[in-house]
Amino acid sequence: MMHRKWKISALLALVLVMGCAGAGAAESSLSDNFLLWLFDFQRTNGVKPVTDKHYQEECGACHFAYQPGLLPAKSWEALLTDQALRDHFGVNAQLDDETLKDIRDYAISNSAEKSWYKRSRKIAAATEHGPTPLRITGLRYIVRTHHDIPEKMITGNKDVKSLSFCDKCHTQAAKGIYDADTVNIPHYPNWDGWFNKP
Amino acid sequence: MEYSIKVVNAVAGIFLAIFSGGVYADTVAANVVLPPAGGFYTNNAQFLGSGRLNSSSYLLAANDGNAAQSRADGTPEAPPVKFEPPLMSERKLHQYLGLGTVLFAGLTMLAAPGEACENNCPPASQLPPRETSGTTHTRLARTTAALAAATVITGLLFHWDDFHLDDGFSDPDNQHVMLAGTGAMLMLYAVNKSAKSSVPTSHAGIAELGAALMLVGIKLTW
Repeated sequence: MMHRKWKISALLALVLVMGCAGAGAAESSLSDNFLLWLFDFQRTNGVKPVTDKHYQEECGACHFAYQPGLLPAKSWEALLTDQALRDHFGVNAQLDDETLKDIRDYAISNSAEKSWYKRSRKIAAATEHGPTPLRITGLRYIVRTHHDIPEKMITGNKDVKSLSFCDKCHTQAAKGIYDADTVNIPHYPNWDGWFNKP
Repeated sequence: MEYSIKVVNAVAGIFLAIFSGGVYADTVAANVVLPPAGGFYTNNAQFLGSGRLNSSSYLLAANDGNAAQSRADGTPEAPPVKFEPPLMSERKLHQYLGLGTVLFAGLTMLAAPGEACENNCPPASQLPPRETSGTTHTRLARTTAALAAATVITGLLFHWDDFHLDDGFSDPDNQHVMLAGTGAMLMLYAVNKSAKSSVPTSHAGIAELGAALMLVGIKLTW
């Protein structure tokens, strides 16, 4: 009898956990994707890869096409306006109205808080309050995860130069995978890890 | 028999501690001479309240090449090597141990002997002595407990930087630590409770709850 009681408790606890997660999903208008995510066994511990051709072409023409899940919607709303693109970090990156609308809509609808990917959820949680972040590299989460990388491997590395060139070290950045295990810092093959050492 | 199991458990524990400690010490030793550089190239971090929201040498887009070029002299010259993600790493070890724990928990559940009798049971004094070791179920349970402990140890060692209490419970890594850690503790408690009891004792529900919590914890960061 006791045995059965515990089994029922375990089942109820599981239902409760799933229910809480589901409620959270519904609250943030993610209910459409929650069940898909729940029963999806593919790894989603990075960010959702870019799937929009316009976004990839227009943003990727000048720099790495940062996945929209790397910033919250409020950041994309601030960054992707005609006014803001006139001075996009020192460069005029103006787009025609139709293209801008497409890119802006795509970025906002795939922003961090609307994604089930782990790193997006972390970014969304960390940027929920406080000022609107405009730089991915200024996010507390990004700063934290790179704080112990020596300067010589980034700014002092001619093949990296800046933390903003994600794909220089994150070999699968285009797929939205930012695992430490997929990092290859140019000229520093054994930058980290015990198993990687020769 | 009881003695030999304890010896085996102790040896396994010592091996895991040495192995994990060795990996950790090696990682720490490798980083000990490295300067904390994050603050230098991320001086636009708004949360620090530095007031410097824009940095001339640190830009989001690929437009600060000149600024960085002058500092690139120290880069060692090494021929580019085709990169292959490692088959094994500290993080993958933790991942495999966690998956192994859930797998063995499931096998343990399947190998459970079940209820001896449900109706007209003889008094406890007439029942055969309870087997707390030597059966498939107990061996699997002990393996599960060892894997759960190793998973927690490797998680603490290799993912410590991912855990920040100030990010709150909505942070997936914090959820992972709390749920999977609690799950591991429940499984260890269930195994310990059953191993120490000479009479039939309810422990399956606790262990199954622990396995379920660990599974949810894994999914949240999968």
